Amino acid sequence: MKEFALFWGCTIPARFPFLEKSTRLVMDNLGLPMRDVEGFTCCPEKSLVNNVDHGMWTLTAARNVAVADEMGLDLVSPCTGCISNLSTVKGELRANPNRTDEVNTLLKQVGREFKGRAKLTHLVPFFHDEVGLDRIKNRIKRNFSGMKVVVHYGCHMMRPYHAIKTDDPLNPKKFDNLVRALGAETLEPSTKLMCCGQALDRVDQHDVALHLARIKLLELKTIGADALVLCCPSCFLQFDNNQNLMEKDGEKFGIPVLYFTELLGLAMGLKPDELGLKSHRVDVGPFIEKWEALVQKTRIEEDIDEELNKEAFG
Amino acid sequence: MLETRLNFKLLEMCADCGACYNVCPSCLHIEGYDPRAVIRDILAGTHERWLTSKHIWQCLECHHCLEICFQHYGFENAMTALRTLAIKKGITPTQVKKGWDMFAKSGRLGEPSPMRKRLGLPEPPGSAKEEFLKLHSLYRESRLPRKGKV
Ligand code: SF4
Ligand code: SF4
Repeated sequence: MKEFALFWGCTIPARFPFLEKSTRLVMDNLGLPMRDVEGFTCCPEKSLVNNVDHGMWTLTAARNVAVADEMGLDLVSPCTGCISNLSTVKGELRANPNRTDEVNTLLKQVGREFKGRAKLTHLVPFFHDEVGLDRIKNRIKRNFSGMKVVVHYGCHMMRPYHAIKTDDPLNPKKFDNLVRALGAETLEPSTKLMCCGQALDRVDQHDVALHLARIKLLELKTIGADALVLCCPSCFLQFDNNQNLMEKDGEKFGIPVLYFTELLGLAMGLKPDELGLKSHRVDVGPFIEKWEALVQKTRIEEDIDEELNKEAFG
Repeated sequence: MLETRLNFKLLEMCADCGACYNVCPSCLHIEGYDPRAVIRDILAGTHERWLTSKHIWQCLECHHCLEICFQHYGFENAMTALRTLAIKKGITPTQVKKGWDMFAKSGRLGEPSPMRKRLGLPEPPGSAKEEFLKLHSLYRESRLPRKGKV
């Protein structure tokens, strides 16, 4: 596999370093040729930066792509927003040579050039397409057979499709495939593709953000999901942090939220503490306990089978 | 002024269509969020009242409308255009203003947490702040258009 650069974005290293940790741990476990690269800035975030100044949004994203272009590296990011923003700008510039020239006139003055060659992929489609299900399955020590989870894609993992092109924007499959490869059953709630709504917290509408989180969490509770699995720091903030805030106010959901890299790490035999699961606001304990209980149960069943075999066949 | 930013022909179709109300999370779940009412006002040139409305900030930029739209256009373009206009008039949500200021000053939305060290994570790679600031000031002197046609 070709070497690739990790694009961490701002939110993970700043607010959720434990998600950076689990990402590094699973990549090491798989022996992926991942590199940390100097010189990336904010992707930049769309709702804040693009609404204020479209030109600066374009220029900043183009510069980040240029950094990867120069090194001849592709980019992989555990953040859906970063991938969507970088890809959107890359697509716009590649389709518009005049605009690219304008952007490059400025970039050249700081010694950069946007070529748009670097491939930009979110971690989930990257694991699905480049690492591959077989290679992942080979690293699994214990699967999640018997566990029922809901996969939350995060809109920007696959939208806008014209810029990202890694999965169906209205009926995505790859995240489900990965989670099923780990043995878990993936449920299909009606709110499966509903946007998390975290963006509302960034425009002073916290109550509306909670309202949208609540809709999904209540459905998950009703259908008996053991966890919500996602791979975007913004969605994580919405479902872990905001769920916790609502629970403090007396609402009850009890839906553990797991980052894909954490779920994979657990399957690889990494310990919950090592993966930083204690740093979650919503207790992941019930998920782990149920999973542990399933092992006990399988062990007991295996023992009984053995006993019966002995009796029957001596 | 909005004519230069938005494609009014496509918006006219929107004003009649509304197919994406069935997938738009904000249309489905937020009371009073009604993009077609906004779009009709844009077409009539009477959109001023929306600039102070919280509704224009309730588009989540989830791109669901864009993907199902037979014009591949979507409500979000109208919302983005109005947000940009509102910001220009100084009607900016506090969080957006704060976020922009932090971005413009440092090129980032938050610095790597000191907690990283305790987790045994490597030193964070440099973020090229100086280069970013230089680029930003070159940009301000340049004539690169600040607003995209969407
Ligand atoms: S991008 Fe905005 S208008 Fe379009 S579906 Fe999402 S929330 Fe609705
Ligand atoms: S954005 Fe597209 S689907 Fe939605 S109302 Fe307009 S024309 Fe119809």
